[in-house]
Amino acid sequence: MTGEEAGLAPAALRADSHRAFDAAVGRWYAPLVRRLVLVLGSEGDAEDVAQEACLRAYRAWGRFDGADERAWLYTIALRLAFDHLRSRRRWLGRVAHPTADGAYRDQVDPDLWAALARLEPRVRAALLASVLDGYTQREIGQMLDVPEGTVASWLSRAKASLREELQGPR
Amino acid sequence: MPAPDDLATRLAAMEHRVPAGLAPTRIRPRWRGWAASIATAPIAVLLAAATVTAGGIAVAGLVTAAPGVENPGQPLAGAALECTTPPEAAAYLAAHGYTRVTWQVETGDASGKGGVTRIVTTAPAHGYVVPGSIVDGTLLMIVDQRAGATGVGACAGEPMP
Repeated sequence: MTGEEAGLAPAALRADSHRAFDAAVGRWYAPLVRRLVLVLGSEGDAEDVAQEACLRAYRAWGRFDGADERAWLYTIALRLAFDHLRSRRRWLGRVAHPTADGAYRDQVDPDLWAALARLEPRVRAALLASVLDGYTQREIGQMLDVPEGTVASWLSRAKASLREELQGPR
Repeated sequence: MPAPDDLATRLAAMEHRVPAGLAPTRIRPRWRGWAASIATAPIAVLLAAATVTAGGIAVAGLVTAAPGVENPGQPLAGAALECTTPPEAAAYLAAHGYTRVTWQVETGDASGKGGVTRIVTTAPAHGYVVPGSIVDGTLLMIVDQRAGATGVGACAGEPMP
């Protein structure tokens, strides 16, 4: 039964769409901001990119295939994040290293934070998507728009880097 | 390097300590287009949306987001209701004192065509549960009944119960 058959007015249909979007995507907003802080290294940039991603996701909601809201939102956000980093490099003329503003960096596993911060942002994003979210290399490749083999290489490099930086279990 | 499980634990702990900006205190310029588009909906719908939405947009000058109820630090963290059926989730919630539950039922097909959202106060008989949020004291749970849809998260790829 469609909304029209149910007697819903167009405004109500729009409201349904808002609610469906809120319910499906909104719950990933906070995790997305946290992820972007780790990828971008800046709370302000992370919030800006997350909000832009939500706006773009909202506009594209009608084209979403309904499969995995988190992957869909993260794909939009991460691509925006990398565009943001490219733009920042272009204007600042330097590679920006993560410099998250909060004291929490020093409160929770500063060694791991520092090791993670030394990875390239896309490598860092791939590692987090693999280790924390459980996405496959193929899925990460689709998310970051790179070949699966590149993801495999990134993950291998990231783990080797962490191994070197952390030098054994804590 | 830590063992894989240890690395995941440490990364997760680190990420969870990052502030998430759950409730922006002001509308940044990039929010305005979104907020403006939402503001065109009828006031009653806006009030309902502010009351029941899972993820959150409140209007009338405020933009807030509600964290997922199973997110770390939230009341149902670790409850693993995702992928359960509504009756199973309802039984769990009742046993844990959640007497005010709103169920948002999504129908249509997996492509999003013909989708209809219904808000009900009794747990539907079938579908599968996507944990929502607590908004204004009411727990909102989402029920996916879309034809052909498969699970996400813990039951990724599995057919709906």
